[in-house]
Amino acid sequence: MRRFACGERPGWREIAREAGFAFHTIDGAPYWDESHAYAFTLTEIEEVIEAPSAELHALCLAFAADAVEDERILASLAIPEPVRDTVRASWRRGDPSLYGRLDFSYGGSGPAKLLEYNADTPTALYETAVFQWLWLEQGLAEGRLPAGSDQFNAVHERLIARLGEIAPPGLFAFAADSSGPEDLGTAGYLQDCAVQAGCETILLDLGQIGLRADGAFCGPDERPFAGLFKLYPWEWAFQDAFGPAVAAAPTRFLEPPWKMVLSNKGLLAHLWAREPGHPNLLPAYFEGDPACASLGAFVRKPLLSREGANVEMFSAEGTRLAGEPGPYGTEGYIRQGLAELPCFDGRRPLLGAWIVGDAPAGLCIRESEGPITGDGALFVPHLIEPA
Amino acid sequence: MADDREAQADFGRRRPAEPAPAVTPPDRSASKRSQTVSTVLVASAGLAALGLGSLDRTAPSKDVLVYVDAAACAADGIRPADECRSDYATARAAYPSTAPHYGSSPECEGHHGTSHCQPDPNAPTQFVPRMAGYLLGRRAADWVTPEPVYDHRQGHGGHDGSYCTGSGGKVSTGSGGHASSAKLKPAAAKATSFGGFGGSGKSFSSFGSS
Repeated sequence: MRRFACGERPGWREIAREAGFAFHTIDGAPYWDESHAYAFTLTEIEEVIEAPSAELHALCLAFAADAVEDERILASLAIPEPVRDTVRASWRRGDPSLYGRLDFSYGGSGPAKLLEYNADTPTALYETAVFQWLWLEQGLAEGRLPAGSDQFNAVHERLIARLGEIAPPGLFAFAADSSGPEDLGTAGYLQDCAVQAGCETILLDLGQIGLRADGAFCGPDERPFAGLFKLYPWEWAFQDAFGPAVAAAPTRFLEPPWKMVLSNKGLLAHLWAREPGHPNLLPAYFEGDPACASLGAFVRKPLLSREGANVEMFSAEGTRLAGEPGPYGTEGYIRQGLAELPCFDGRRPLLGAWIVGDAPAGLCIRESEGPITGDGALFVPHLIEPA
Repeated sequence: MADDREAQADFGRRRPAEPAPAVTPPDRSASKRSQTVSTVLVASAGLAALGLGSLDRTAPSKDVLVYVDAAACAADGIRPADECRSDYATARAAYPSTAPHYGSSPECEGHHGTSHCQPDPNAPTQFVPRMAGYLLGRRAADWVTPEPVYDHRQGHGGHDGSYCTGSGGKVSTGSGGHASSAKLKPAAAKATSFGGFGGSGKSFSSFGSS
Protein backbone atom coordinates (compact mmCIF):
# COMPACT_ATOMS: atom_id res chain seq x y z
CA MET A 1 0.00 0.00 0.00
CA ARG A 2 1.37 3.36 -0.97
CA ARG A 3 0.11 6.86 -1.58
CA PHE A 4 1.21 8.49 -4.78
CA ALA A 5 0.70 11.78 -6.58
CA CYS A 6 -1.07 11.29 -9.88
CA GLY A 7 -2.31 14.78 -10.64
CA GLU A 8 -5.89 15.65 -11.36
CA ARG A 9 -7.48 14.90 -14.69
CA PRO A 10 -7.76 18.21 -16.45
CA GLY A 11 -11.44 19.07 -16.57
CA TRP A 12 -12.53 16.41 -14.08
CA ARG A 13 -15.11 18.80 -12.67
CA GLU A 14 -16.74 18.99 -16.07
CA ILE A 15 -16.62 15.20 -16.28
CA ALA A 16 -18.24 15.03 -12.86
CA ARG A 17 -20.93 17.45 -13.95
CA GLU A 18 -21.68 15.39 -17.05
CA ALA A 19 -21.76 12.22 -15.00
CA GLY A 20 -24.22 13.76 -12.56
CA PHE A 21 -21.78 13.76 -9.62
CA ALA A 22 -22.80 17.06 -8.05
CA PHE A 23 -21.45 16.69 -4.54
CA HIS A 24 -17.74 16.41 -5.37
CA THR A 25 -17.49 19.71 -3.48
CA ILE A 26 -19.66 20.13 -0.38
CA ASP A 27 -20.36 23.57 1.07
CA GLY A 28 -17.34 24.92 -0.79
CA ALA A 29 -14.98 22.30 0.63
CA PRO A 30 -13.51 19.57 -1.56
CA TYR A 31 -14.83 16.04 -1.09
CA TRP A 32 -13.52 14.21 -4.15
CA ASP A 33 -9.72 14.53 -4.33
CA GLU A 34 -7.84 12.87 -7.18
CA SER A 35 -4.56 14.74 -6.84
CA HIS A 36 -3.30 11.64 -5.05
CA ALA A 37 -4.35 8.03 -4.97
CA TYR A 38 -3.53 4.84 -3.10
CA ALA A 39 -2.00 1.80 -4.72
CA PHE A 40 -2.27 -1.76 -3.43
CA THR A 41 -0.84 -5.03 -4.60
CA LEU A 42 -3.34 -7.65 -5.73
CA THR A 43 -2.21 -9.83 -2.84
CA GLU A 44 -2.99 -7.04 -0.38
CA ILE A 45 -6.44 -6.57 -1.85
CA GLU A 46 -7.30 -10.25 -1.89
CA GLU A 47 -5.66 -11.42 1.31
CA VAL A 48 -5.75 -8.34 3.52
CA ILE A 49 -9.05 -6.75 2.50
CA GLU A 50 -11.28 -9.09 0.51
CA ALA A 51 -10.88 -12.41 2.30
CA PRO A 52 -11.10 -10.92 5.82
CA SER A 53 -14.16 -8.88 4.78
CA ALA A 54 -15.91 -12.03 3.64
CA GLU A 55 -14.98 -13.78 6.85
CA LEU A 56 -16.03 -10.90 9.10
CA HIS A 57 -19.34 -10.52 7.30
CA ALA A 58 -19.97 -14.23 7.82
CA LEU A 59 -19.14 -13.83 11.52
CA CYS A 60 -21.58 -10.94 11.64
CA LEU A 61 -24.35 -13.06 10.12
CA ALA A 62 -23.70 -15.79 12.65
CA PHE A 63 -23.87 -13.18 15.40
CA ALA A 64 -27.13 -11.77 13.99
CA ALA A 65 -28.68 -15.23 14.03
CA ASP A 66 -27.93 -15.54 17.74
CA ALA A 67 -28.62 -11.92 18.61
CA VAL A 68 -32.18 -11.76 17.35
CA GLU A 69 -33.11 -14.74 19.56
CA ASP A 70 -31.40 -13.39 22.66
CA GLU A 71 -33.09 -10.64 24.65
CA ARG A 72 -29.90 -9.90 26.57
CA ILE A 73 -27.96 -9.25 23.40
CA LEU A 74 -30.72 -7.08 21.96
CA ALA A 75 -30.82 -5.14 25.22
CA SER A 76 -27.04 -4.71 25.17
CA LEU A 77 -27.42 -3.12 21.73
CA ALA A 78 -30.03 -0.70 23.12
CA ILE A 79 -32.65 -2.02 20.71
CA PRO A 80 -35.94 -0.98 22.31
CA GLU A 81 -38.22 -3.76 23.47
CA PRO A 82 -41.20 -2.91 21.22
CA VAL A 83 -38.92 -3.17 18.19
CA ARG A 84 -37.35 -6.52 18.94
CA ASP A 85 -40.12 -8.66 17.50
CA THR A 86 -39.87 -6.77 14.22
CA VAL A 87 -36.12 -7.26 14.10
CA ARG A 88 -36.49 -10.94 14.92
CA ALA A 89 -39.27 -11.49 12.39
CA SER A 90 -37.24 -9.85 9.65
CA TRP A 91 -34.34 -12.21 10.34
CA ARG A 92 -36.50 -15.33 10.60
CA ARG A 93 -38.27 -14.43 7.38
CA GLY A 94 -34.89 -14.22 5.67
CA ASP A 95 -35.34 -10.62 4.53
CA PRO A 96 -32.44 -10.09 2.12
CA SER A 97 -29.93 -7.30 2.58
CA LEU A 98 -28.40 -5.21 -0.18
CA TYR A 99 -25.17 -3.72 1.03
CA GLY A 100 -22.92 -2.57 3.83
CA ARG A 101 -19.46 -1.20 4.40
CA LEU A 102 -16.83 -2.57 6.76
CA ASP A 103 -14.36 0.13 7.85
CA PHE A 104 -10.77 -0.88 8.47
CA SER A 105 -7.55 0.59 9.74
CA TYR A 106 -4.69 -0.65 7.57
CA GLY A 107 -1.40 0.96 6.58
CA GLY A 108 0.48 -1.61 4.54
CA SER A 109 1.55 -4.09 7.20
CA GLY A 110 -0.15 -6.54 9.52
CA PRO A 111 -3.82 -7.44 9.35
CA ALA A 112 -6.52 -4.87 8.64
CA LYS A 113 -8.40 -4.06 11.84
CA LEU A 114 -12.16 -3.67 11.80
CA LEU A 115 -13.26 -0.35 13.26
CA GLU A 116 -16.99 -0.69 12.62
CA TYR A 117 -19.64 -2.03 10.30
CA ASN A 118 -21.85 0.51 8.53
CA ALA A 119 -24.50 -2.07 7.85
CA ASP A 120 -27.65 0.03 7.68
CA THR A 121 -27.09 3.36 5.93
CA PRO A 122 -23.66 3.54 4.30
CA THR A 123 -22.95 6.33 1.85
CA ALA A 124 -19.98 7.06 -0.48
CA LEU A 125 -21.49 4.43 -2.76
CA TYR A 126 -21.82 6.30 -6.05
CA GLU A 127 -18.35 7.80 -5.71
CA THR A 128 -16.95 4.33 -5.19
CA ALA A 129 -18.88 2.44 -7.80
CA VAL A 130 -19.04 4.96 -10.64
CA PHE A 131 -16.76 7.96 -10.34
CA GLN A 132 -13.76 6.07 -8.95
CA TRP A 133 -14.16 3.49 -11.71
CA LEU A 134 -14.32 6.22 -14.32
CA TRP A 135 -11.16 7.80 -12.87
CA LEU A 136 -9.30 4.53 -13.39
CA GLU A 137 -10.63 3.87 -16.87
CA GLN A 138 -9.79 7.36 -18.06
CA GLY A 139 -6.37 7.26 -16.41
CA LEU A 140 -5.62 4.02 -18.24
CA ALA A 141 -6.97 5.23 -21.55
CA GLU A 142 -4.94 8.42 -21.38
CA GLY A 143 -1.80 6.70 -20.14
CA ARG A 144 -1.66 8.67 -16.91
CA LEU A 145 -1.94 5.55 -14.76
CA PRO A 146 0.32 2.51 -15.17
CA ALA A 147 -0.86 0.15 -17.90
CA GLY A 148 -2.45 -2.96 -16.46
CA SER A 149 -3.62 -1.25 -13.27
CA ASP A 150 -6.86 -2.59 -11.88
CA GLN A 151 -9.23 -1.59 -9.08
CA PHE A 152 -11.11 -3.51 -6.41
CA ASN A 153 -14.47 -2.28 -7.55
CA ALA A 154 -17.19 -4.52 -8.92
CA VAL A 155 -19.70 -2.59 -6.81
CA HIS A 156 -21.81 -1.34 -9.70
CA GLU A 157 -22.23 -4.69 -11.40
CA ARG A 158 -22.86 -6.43 -8.12
CA LEU A 159 -25.49 -3.95 -7.00
CA ILE A 160 -27.45 -4.40 -10.21
CA ALA A 161 -27.19 -8.17 -9.97
CA ARG A 162 -28.19 -8.19 -6.30
CA LEU A 163 -31.15 -5.87 -6.83
CA GLY A 164 -32.29 -8.13 -9.64
CA GLU A 165 -32.18 -11.08 -7.27
CA ILE A 166 -33.97 -9.57 -4.31
CA ALA A 167 -36.38 -6.94 -5.62
CA PRO A 168 -39.94 -7.97 -4.83
CA PRO A 169 -42.38 -7.76 -7.75
CA GLY A 170 -44.08 -4.38 -7.83
CA LEU A 171 -43.06 -0.81 -7.18
CA PHE A 172 -39.65 -0.30 -5.59
CA ALA A 173 -39.18 3.03 -3.81
CA PHE A 174 -35.95 4.77 -2.85
CA ALA A 175 -36.20 7.34 -0.09
CA ALA A 176 -33.77 9.69 1.60
CA ASP A 177 -33.65 13.11 3.20
CA SER A 178 -33.71 15.16 0.03
CA SER A 179 -32.06 18.14 1.73
CA GLY A 180 -28.82 16.19 1.88
CA PRO A 181 -27.14 15.96 -1.54
CA GLU A 182 -25.09 12.92 -0.54
CA ASP A 183 -28.10 11.14 0.89
CA LEU A 184 -30.27 11.86 -2.10
CA GLY A 185 -27.39 11.01 -4.42
CA THR A 186 -26.94 7.61 -2.80
CA ALA A 187 -30.64 6.79 -2.97
CA GLY A 188 -30.83 8.11 -6.54
CA TYR A 189 -27.86 6.02 -7.59
CA LEU A 190 -29.43 2.88 -6.15
CA GLN A 191 -32.66 3.72 -7.92
CA ASP A 192 -30.62 3.89 -11.12
CA CYS A 193 -29.15 0.46 -10.43
CA ALA A 194 -32.64 -0.90 -9.76
CA VAL A 195 -33.91 0.45 -13.08
CA GLN A 196 -31.05 -1.35 -14.78
CA ALA A 197 -32.06 -4.48 -12.89
CA GLY A 198 -35.51 -4.20 -14.46
CA CYS A 199 -37.41 -2.73 -11.51
CA GLU A 200 -40.16 -0.17 -11.61
CA THR A 201 -38.97 2.58 -9.27
CA ILE A 202 -39.73 5.89 -7.63
CA LEU A 203 -37.37 8.25 -5.76
CA LEU A 204 -38.83 10.33 -2.99
CA ASP A 205 -38.17 12.29 0.16
CA LEU A 206 -38.70 10.46 3.45
CA GLY A 207 -41.51 12.87 4.26
CA GLN A 208 -43.41 11.84 1.14
CA ILE A 209 -43.81 8.28 2.32
CA GLY A 210 -47.40 7.45 3.14
CA LEU A 211 -49.02 4.68 5.14
CA ARG A 212 -52.20 3.19 3.71
CA ALA A 213 -55.15 1.86 5.62
CA ASP A 214 -54.17 -1.65 4.52
CA GLY A 215 -50.80 -1.24 6.23
CA ALA A 216 -48.65 -0.87 3.13
CA PHE A 217 -46.25 2.02 2.74
CA CYS A 218 -46.86 4.08 -0.37
CA GLY A 219 -45.99 7.20 -2.32
CA PRO A 220 -47.96 10.39 -2.90
CA ASP A 221 -50.29 8.59 -5.32
CA GLU A 222 -50.97 5.93 -2.66
CA ARG A 223 -49.72 3.15 -4.85
CA PRO A 224 -48.23 0.59 -2.47
CA PHE A 225 -44.50 -0.05 -2.34
CA ALA A 226 -43.47 -3.67 -2.69
CA GLY A 227 -39.96 -2.64 -1.67
CA LEU A 228 -38.66 0.45 0.11
CA PHE A 229 -35.00 1.38 0.31
CA LYS A 230 -34.61 3.98 3.04
CA LEU A 231 -31.35 5.80 3.63
CA TYR A 232 -32.43 6.46 7.19
CA PRO A 233 -31.25 4.66 10.30
CA TRP A 234 -33.63 2.12 11.78
CA GLU A 235 -33.19 3.53 15.27
CA TRP A 236 -34.63 6.79 13.97
CA ALA A 237 -37.34 5.19 11.83
CA PHE A 238 -38.64 3.22 14.79
CA GLN A 239 -38.95 6.42 16.83
CA ASP A 240 -41.03 8.05 14.11
CA ALA A 241 -44.81 8.04 13.90
CA PHE A 242 -44.70 5.30 11.25
CA GLY A 243 -42.27 3.15 13.23
CA PRO A 244 -44.89 0.90 14.81
CA ALA A 245 -46.42 0.22 11.37
CA VAL A 246 -43.27 -1.46 10.06
CA ALA A 247 -44.02 -4.73 11.86
CA ALA A 248 -47.22 -5.52 9.99
CA ALA A 249 -46.41 -3.84 6.67
CA PRO A 250 -46.28 -6.00 3.55
CA THR A 251 -43.59 -3.60 2.28
CA ARG A 252 -40.10 -5.12 2.30
CA PHE A 253 -37.40 -2.76 3.51
CA LEU A 254 -33.80 -2.34 2.50
CA GLU A 255 -31.81 -2.56 4.59
CA PRO A 256 -34.01 -5.00 6.54
CA PRO A 257 -34.67 -4.34 10.25
CA TRP A 258 -32.29 -7.10 11.36
CA LYS A 259 -29.39 -4.96 10.13
CA MET A 260 -29.89 -3.02 13.39
CA VAL A 261 -27.91 -5.64 15.24
CA LEU A 262 -24.89 -5.09 12.98
CA SER A 263 -25.06 -1.33 12.51
CA ASN A 264 -24.22 -0.85 16.14
CA LYS A 265 -20.85 -0.45 17.86
CA GLY A 266 -21.96 -3.04 20.40
CA LEU A 267 -21.38 -5.55 17.59
CA LEU A 268 -17.65 -5.00 18.08
CA ALA A 269 -17.76 -6.06 21.73
CA HIS A 270 -19.83 -9.13 20.89
CA LEU A 271 -17.57 -10.15 17.99
CA TRP A 272 -14.52 -9.90 20.22
CA ALA A 273 -16.22 -12.01 22.88
CA ARG A 274 -17.08 -14.64 20.25
CA GLU A 275 -13.73 -14.58 18.48
CA PRO A 276 -11.14 -13.34 20.99
CA GLY A 277 -7.80 -12.75 19.33
CA HIS A 278 -9.16 -12.74 15.79
CA PRO A 279 -6.48 -11.01 13.72
CA ASN A 280 -8.94 -8.58 12.11
CA LEU A 281 -10.70 -7.60 15.31
CA LEU A 282 -9.67 -5.16 18.00
CA PRO A 283 -10.41 -5.95 21.62
CA ALA A 284 -13.65 -4.24 22.52
CA TYR A 285 -15.94 -4.21 25.55
CA PHE A 286 -19.07 -2.50 26.65
CA GLU A 287 -18.35 0.41 28.95
CA GLY A 288 -18.60 -0.78 32.53
CA ASP A 289 -17.08 -4.17 31.74
CA PRO A 290 -14.03 -4.51 34.03
CA ALA A 291 -12.13 -5.91 31.06
CA CYS A 292 -11.97 -2.36 29.70
CA ALA A 293 -9.01 -1.87 32.05
CA SER A 294 -6.98 -4.26 29.90
CA LEU A 295 -7.30 -2.19 26.75
CA GLY A 296 -4.41 0.25 27.03
CA ALA A 297 -5.05 3.17 24.71
CA PHE A 298 -8.66 3.01 23.61
CA VAL A 299 -11.41 4.68 21.65
CA ARG A 300 -14.78 5.38 23.24
CA LYS A 301 -17.65 5.06 20.79
CA PRO A 302 -21.38 5.57 21.29
CA LEU A 303 -23.35 2.51 20.16
CA LEU A 304 -25.14 4.45 17.43
CA SER A 305 -22.69 7.18 16.44
CA ARG A 306 -22.30 8.19 12.79
CA GLU A 307 -19.71 10.29 11.00
CA GLY A 308 -17.32 9.96 13.92
CA ALA A 309 -19.58 12.03 16.15
CA ASN A 310 -18.99 11.69 19.90
CA VAL A 311 -16.02 9.43 19.29
CA GLU A 312 -13.19 10.03 21.77
CA MET A 313 -9.65 8.72 21.92
CA PHE A 314 -7.78 8.11 25.17
CA SER A 315 -4.20 7.16 26.01
CA ALA A 316 -3.45 4.13 28.18
CA GLU A 317 -3.13 6.58 31.08
CA GLY A 318 -6.63 7.87 30.44
CA THR A 319 -5.66 11.19 28.87
CA ARG A 320 -8.13 12.35 26.25
CA LEU A 321 -6.16 12.59 23.02
CA ALA A 322 -8.88 13.57 20.58
CA GLY A 323 -12.62 13.79 20.29
CA GLU A 324 -15.44 14.89 18.08
CA PRO A 325 -18.62 16.57 19.30
CA GLY A 326 -22.05 15.20 18.51
CA PRO A 327 -25.52 14.26 19.69
CA TYR A 328 -25.00 10.56 20.47
CA GLY A 329 -24.14 8.59 23.55
CA THR A 330 -27.18 8.34 25.78
CA GLU A 331 -27.69 4.83 24.40
CA GLY A 332 -24.38 3.63 25.85
CA TYR A 333 -20.77 3.21 24.78
CA ILE A 334 -18.19 0.65 23.92
CA ARG A 335 -14.44 0.94 24.37
CA GLN A 336 -12.28 -0.44 21.63
CA GLY A 337 -8.52 -0.92 21.60
CA LEU A 338 -6.89 1.89 19.64
CA ALA A 339 -5.69 1.06 16.13
CA GLU A 340 -4.45 4.42 14.95
CA LEU A 341 -5.10 5.16 11.33
CA PRO A 342 -1.84 5.06 9.37
CA CYS A 343 -0.23 8.33 8.32
CA PHE A 344 0.83 8.92 4.70
CA ASP A 345 2.29 12.37 4.02
CA GLY A 346 0.33 13.72 6.96
CA ARG A 347 -2.96 12.21 5.77
CA ARG A 348 -4.83 9.37 7.44
CA PRO A 349 -6.74 6.97 5.19
CA LEU A 350 -9.66 4.84 6.34
CA LEU A 351 -10.46 1.81 4.19
CA GLY A 352 -14.09 0.99 3.49
CA ALA A 353 -14.74 -2.50 2.16
CA TRP A 354 -18.11 -2.82 0.45
CA ILE A 355 -20.24 -5.88 0.93
CA VAL A 356 -22.96 -6.41 -1.67
CA GLY A 357 -25.30 -9.24 -0.85
CA ASP A 358 -23.02 -11.39 1.25
CA ALA A 359 -19.73 -10.96 -0.61
CA PRO A 360 -17.02 -8.28 -0.71
CA ALA A 361 -17.37 -6.14 -3.82
CA GLY A 362 -15.00 -3.21 -3.69
CA LEU A 363 -13.04 -0.60 -1.80
CA CYS A 364 -13.21 3.09 -1.03
CA ILE A 365 -10.83 5.29 0.88
CA ARG A 366 -11.59 8.35 2.93
CA GLU A 367 -8.73 10.54 4.02
CA SER A 368 -8.63 12.92 6.95
CA GLU A 369 -6.03 15.05 8.67
CA GLY A 370 -6.97 14.13 12.19
CA PRO A 371 -7.09 10.73 13.87
CA ILE A 372 -10.91 10.49 13.68
CA THR A 373 -12.52 10.26 10.25
CA GLY A 374 -15.42 12.69 10.18
CA ASP A 375 -17.78 14.06 7.58
CA GLY A 376 -15.07 16.39 6.23
CA ALA A 377 -12.89 13.50 5.08
CA LEU A 378 -11.89 13.41 1.42
CA PHE A 379 -12.69 10.61 -0.99
CA VAL A 380 -9.44 9.46 -2.61
CA PRO A 381 -9.39 6.84 -5.40
CA HIS A 382 -7.28 3.70 -5.43
CA LEU A 383 -5.80 1.23 -7.89
CA ILE A 384 -4.27 -2.21 -7.88
CA GLU A 385 -0.68 -2.20 -9.13
CA PRO A 386 -0.04 -4.09 -12.37
CA ALA A 387 1.30 -7.56 -11.77
CA MET B 1 -39.44 11.04 -10.80
CA ALA B 2 -36.52 11.37 -13.12
CA ASP B 3 -37.55 9.17 -15.92
CA ASP B 4 -35.50 10.34 -18.84
CA ARG B 5 -34.33 6.91 -19.71
CA GLU B 6 -33.53 7.92 -23.25
CA ALA B 7 -30.57 9.96 -22.20
CA GLN B 8 -28.42 7.02 -21.37
CA ALA B 9 -24.82 7.79 -20.62
CA ASP B 10 -22.44 4.95 -21.22
CA PHE B 11 -19.18 5.96 -19.69
CA GLY B 12 -17.42 3.22 -21.54
CA ARG B 13 -18.14 4.99 -24.78
CA ARG B 14 -16.74 8.27 -23.66
CA ARG B 15 -13.15 7.17 -23.76
CA PRO B 16 -11.08 8.94 -26.38
CA ALA B 17 -9.59 5.75 -27.83
CA GLU B 18 -12.84 4.68 -29.44
CA PRO B 19 -13.79 1.95 -30.17
CA ALA B 20 -11.19 -0.25 -28.50
CA PRO B 21 -9.89 0.82 -25.10
CA ALA B 22 -6.28 1.98 -25.29
CA VAL B 23 -5.39 -0.47 -22.59
CA THR B 24 -7.05 -3.79 -22.10
CA PRO B 25 -5.83 -6.16 -19.44
CA PRO B 26 -4.96 -9.50 -20.99
CA ASP B 27 -7.72 -11.26 -19.13
CA ARG B 28 -10.36 -8.72 -18.25
CA SER B 29 -12.62 -11.39 -16.86
CA ALA B 30 -10.11 -11.86 -14.05
CA SER B 31 -10.11 -8.17 -13.13
CA LYS B 32 -11.38 -6.94 -9.81
CA ARG B 33 -13.54 -4.20 -11.25
CA SER B 34 -16.80 -3.82 -13.13
CA GLN B 35 -16.59 -4.49 -16.85
CA THR B 36 -18.79 -1.56 -17.69
CA VAL B 37 -20.42 1.10 -15.59
CA SER B 38 -23.25 3.16 -16.93
CA THR B 39 -26.12 5.00 -15.36
CA VAL B 40 -29.50 5.67 -16.89
CA LEU B 41 -30.99 8.29 -14.57
CA VAL B 42 -28.11 9.83 -12.69
CA ALA B 43 -26.13 11.05 -15.66
CA SER B 44 -29.03 12.77 -17.33
CA ALA B 45 -30.49 14.46 -14.28
CA GLY B 46 -27.55 14.82 -11.95
CA LEU B 47 -27.56 13.30 -8.52
CA ALA B 48 -28.73 16.49 -6.87
CA ALA B 49 -31.45 17.11 -9.40
CA LEU B 50 -33.13 13.73 -9.51
CA GLY B 51 -36.85 14.14 -9.67
CA LEU B 52 -38.80 13.33 -6.58
CA GLY B 53 -42.32 11.99 -6.39
CA SER B 54 -44.95 14.67 -6.63
CA LEU B 55 -45.34 16.54 -3.38
CA ASP B 56 -49.02 17.08 -4.08
CA ARG B 57 -50.77 15.11 -1.38
CA THR B 58 -54.27 16.27 -2.12
CA ALA B 59 -56.50 13.84 -3.92
CA PRO B 60 -57.28 15.30 -7.31
CA SER B 61 -60.00 13.93 -9.52
CA LYS B 62 -58.93 11.03 -11.64
CA ASP B 63 -60.20 10.26 -15.09
CA VAL B 64 -61.75 6.83 -14.99
CA LEU B 65 -64.07 4.65 -17.02
CA VAL B 66 -67.35 3.32 -15.69
CA TYR B 67 -69.26 0.41 -17.23
CA VAL B 68 -72.14 -1.75 -16.11
CA ASP B 69 -70.18 -4.89 -16.96
CA ALA B 70 -67.22 -6.27 -18.88
CA ALA B 71 -69.19 -6.60 -22.12
CA ALA B 72 -70.07 -2.90 -22.09
CA CYS B 73 -66.43 -2.10 -21.43
CA ALA B 74 -65.24 -4.29 -24.31
CA ALA B 75 -67.86 -2.87 -26.66
CA ASP B 76 -66.58 0.64 -25.97
CA GLY B 77 -63.14 -0.32 -27.29
CA ILE B 78 -61.10 1.94 -25.02
CA ARG B 79 -59.60 -0.91 -23.04
CA PRO B 80 -58.81 -4.36 -24.46
CA ALA B 81 -61.53 -6.92 -23.77
CA ASP B 82 -59.32 -9.13 -21.62
CA GLU B 83 -58.44 -6.19 -19.39
CA CYS B 84 -62.13 -5.31 -19.16
CA ARG B 85 -62.83 -8.83 -17.99
CA SER B 86 -60.00 -9.09 -15.47
CA ASP B 87 -60.78 -5.67 -14.02
CA TYR B 88 -64.44 -6.59 -13.76
CA ALA B 89 -63.49 -9.78 -11.97
CA THR B 90 -61.38 -7.76 -9.54
CA ALA B 91 -64.22 -5.36 -8.83
CA ARG B 92 -66.78 -8.13 -8.56
CA ALA B 93 -64.60 -10.03 -6.10
CA ALA B 94 -64.20 -6.92 -3.96
CA TYR B 95 -67.93 -6.18 -3.92
CA PRO B 96 -69.11 -8.37 -1.00
CA SER B 97 -66.48 -7.06 1.39
CA THR B 98 -66.18 -3.45 0.26
CA ALA B 99 -69.84 -2.54 -0.32
CA PRO B 100 -71.08 -0.01 2.24
CA HIS B 101 -73.28 -1.69 4.82
CA TYR B 102 -76.43 -0.19 6.31
CA GLY B 103 -78.55 -1.23 9.26
CA SER B 104 -81.83 -0.85 7.37
CA SER B 105 -83.21 -0.76 3.87
CA PRO B 106 -84.47 2.87 4.11
CA GLU B 107 -81.04 3.99 5.25
CA CYS B 108 -79.47 2.28 2.26
CA GLU B 109 -82.06 3.59 -0.18
CA GLY B 110 -81.66 7.09 1.22
CA HIS B 111 -78.12 7.01 0.00
CA HIS B 112 -78.38 4.94 -3.14
CA GLY B 113 -81.94 5.42 -4.32
CA THR B 114 -85.15 3.42 -4.30
CA SER B 115 -84.84 -0.27 -5.21
CA HIS B 116 -81.08 -0.05 -5.46
CA CYS B 117 -80.48 -1.98 -2.25
CA GLN B 118 -80.71 -5.58 -1.08
CA PRO B 119 -80.01 -7.57 2.08
CA ASP B 120 -76.40 -8.72 2.39
CA PRO B 121 -76.58 -12.49 1.69
CA ASN B 122 -73.82 -13.06 4.21
CA ALA B 123 -75.39 -10.90 6.89
CA PRO B 124 -79.13 -10.68 6.17
CA THR B 125 -79.81 -8.09 8.86
CA GLN B 126 -77.69 -5.63 6.91
CA PHE B 127 -78.34 -3.94 3.59
CA VAL B 128 -75.95 -3.21 0.78
CA PRO B 129 -76.40 -1.33 -2.50
CA ARG B 130 -76.52 -3.41 -5.66
CA MET B 131 -73.37 -3.21 -7.72
CA ALA B 132 -74.35 -0.80 -10.48
CA GLY B 133 -71.16 -1.23 -12.42
CA TYR B 134 -67.44 -0.86 -11.99
CA LEU B 135 -64.79 1.71 -12.56
CA LEU B 136 -61.37 1.21 -14.06
CA GLY B 137 -58.55 3.39 -15.38
CA ARG B 138 -58.46 4.71 -18.90
CA ARG B 139 -55.21 2.84 -19.33
CA ALA B 140 -53.67 -0.02 -17.39
CA ALA B 141 -50.75 2.34 -16.70
CA ASP B 142 -53.04 4.66 -14.74
CA TRP B 143 -52.90 2.26 -11.81
CA VAL B 144 -56.51 2.75 -10.87
CA THR B 145 -57.65 -0.14 -8.74
CA PRO B 146 -60.85 -1.48 -10.33
CA GLU B 147 -63.72 -1.29 -7.88
CA PRO B 148 -67.51 -1.57 -7.78
CA VAL B 149 -69.62 1.58 -8.12
CA TYR B 150 -73.09 2.11 -6.71
CA ASP B 151 -75.97 4.26 -7.80
CA HIS B 152 -76.05 7.51 -5.92
CA ARG B 153 -79.30 9.27 -5.06
CA GLN B 154 -79.25 12.71 -6.62
CA GLY B 155 -78.15 15.32 -4.11
CA HIS B 156 -77.44 12.94 -1.26
CA GLY B 157 -74.44 14.03 0.79
CA GLY B 158 -74.26 17.27 -1.14
CA HIS B 159 -73.05 15.77 -4.37
CA ASP B 160 -74.76 15.15 -7.65
CA GLY B 161 -72.48 12.37 -8.75
CA SER B 162 -74.00 9.59 -10.72
CA TYR B 163 -72.24 6.92 -8.72
CA CYS B 164 -70.27 6.49 -5.56
CA THR B 165 -67.65 4.04 -4.41
CA GLY B 166 -67.55 1.87 -1.32
CA SER B 167 -65.16 4.26 0.39
CA GLY B 168 -67.33 7.28 -0.37
CA GLY B 169 -65.63 8.47 -3.52
CA LYS B 170 -67.78 10.48 -5.92
CA VAL B 171 -68.01 9.37 -9.51
CA SER B 172 -69.26 11.99 -11.94
CA THR B 173 -70.10 11.00 -15.49
CA GLY B 174 -70.00 13.75 -18.07
CA SER B 175 -73.63 13.58 -19.08
CA GLY B 176 -74.95 12.51 -15.74
CA GLY B 177 -75.97 9.28 -17.38
CA HIS B 178 -74.31 5.94 -17.90
CA ALA B 179 -71.38 7.22 -19.94
CA SER B 180 -68.06 5.50 -20.03
CA SER B 181 -65.91 8.54 -19.25
CA ALA B 182 -66.14 9.67 -15.68
CA LYS B 183 -64.33 11.58 -12.97
CA LEU B 184 -63.59 9.96 -9.66
CA LYS B 185 -63.18 12.27 -6.70
CA PRO B 186 -61.89 10.14 -3.86
CA ALA B 187 -63.56 10.55 -0.49
CA ALA B 188 -62.29 13.51 1.48
CA ALA B 189 -61.39 11.52 4.54
CA LYS B 190 -58.37 9.64 3.35
CA ALA B 191 -57.28 6.60 5.24
CA THR B 192 -53.71 7.08 4.08
CA SER B 193 -51.50 9.26 6.24
CA PHE B 194 -48.27 10.98 5.27
CA GLY B 195 -45.24 12.46 6.93
CA GLY B 196 -44.62 9.70 9.45
CA PHE B 197 -40.99 9.14 8.52
CA GLY B 198 -38.05 11.50 8.76
CA GLY B 199 -38.88 13.23 12.01
CA SER B 200 -36.11 11.77 14.12
CA GLY B 201 -33.08 12.98 12.29
CA LYS B 202 -31.70 15.09 9.52
CA SER B 203 -29.40 14.33 6.69
CA PHE B 204 -26.20 12.52 7.43
CA SER B 205 -23.52 10.84 5.44
CA SER B 206 -22.36 8.05 7.57
CA PHE B 207 -18.79 7.32 6.78
CA GLY B 208 -17.44 8.46 10.09
CA SER B 209 -15.23 6.17 12.03
CA SER B 210 -12.09 6.33 14.03
